[in-house]
Amino acid sequence: MSGPCAKGFPEELLSGYLDHELTQADEQRARLHLEDCPDCKAVLGDLQILREAAMTTNFSEPNPTEWGELPRGRASAAFRSLGWIVVVIWLAAVVGYAAWELATGPERLAVKLLTFGGISGVSLLLISVLIDRVRTARTDRYTGVER
Amino acid sequence: MEAILIPSGPSHPPAAAASSEAELVSGALAGMPEAWEALLVRCRKTSYLVALQLLGSREDAMDVAQDALLRLVRSLDRFDTARSLTPWVAAITRNLVVDLVRRQKVRRADSLEALLSQGGVEMADHSDSPEADAERRELRARVARAVRELPPLYREVIVLRDYQDLTYDEIAGVLEIPRGTVMSRLHRARSLLRGALASGTPPKGGAG
Repeated sequence: MSGPCAKGFPEELLSGYLDHELTQADEQRARLHLEDCPDCKAVLGDLQILREAAMTTNFSEPNPTEWGELPRGRASAAFRSLGWIVVVIWLAAVVGYAAWELATGPERLAVKLLTFGGISGVSLLLISVLIDRVRTARTDRYTGVER
Repeated sequence: MEAILIPSGPSHPPAAAASSEAELVSGALAGMPEAWEALLVRCRKTSYLVALQLLGSREDAMDVAQDALLRLVRSLDRFDTARSLTPWVAAITRNLVVDLVRRQKVRRADSLEALLSQGGVEMADHSDSPEADAERRELRARVARAVRELPPLYREVIVLRDYQDLTYDEIAGVLEIPRGTVMSRLHRARSLLRGALASGTPPKGGAG
């Protein structure tokens, strides 16, 4: 191990030289200095060994089956979004029509109230479940992954 | 295009692997399933390897890589095909890693020995003799161990340069620092590694 260059050469240029990332002027400066400085030459040699060791290390990936599935394609995601929009519009239309029919129909008031009460109760329960599901989906990091 | 199951075989189609990044991105944007799969598999590998070295935990790295893929899918149409894909994936991954560390949700790091014994690290060799191969393997393991001991500031620059082979300009973009800082930080990191390997002790380095 050697310390900083005794000739005051800026050491970080050695890394730049090793990586071929210096300007032409700095590269020439480094080359000339290295011809003349065994300490810096030794440092450069060590850095080269380190870099080669790192570059030739292969970390294996997890087994493909551990990954599960890739995110679904953009077209699939777009169709799914469009599908949801159509379903919501359809549902709103059906509910609106049913409510209108119930309100203007010939049934007695008691029947209307019973029907309205029942449907409202079930709807509220469904809405509460839906809210929970939406909240969960927003925090699910795998929400875009086909399961 | 529906979800694509990753093939369970050991490798992916060579034709897809040989495709250029620009071709893969164009193909994926055009809705070609093969390009889509090849692109995501390639990006997932890059993201996993970067995250694994920054975090040290295999499970965290898998989670980060999965998250990175989702972000990549969402912003793929904004990707400039004239640029390299690896720095972009590395930047997404690095940001996710920083978020994870900030939230203190990082799992305990797996030991390098555990990864080695489970086949988690494989070494590429061009053998001239068994002794030379063994020496190279030992050196790689020592370097990998020392890199894991580096302060995060230096570890990330070594991972991006020496393991992912990014240029200084690309690293500057990923880390959002000037190019000159990349060179000085990289040299400091390499000096710490060199010192650690020579002394046999973990690298010690402040933030400077």
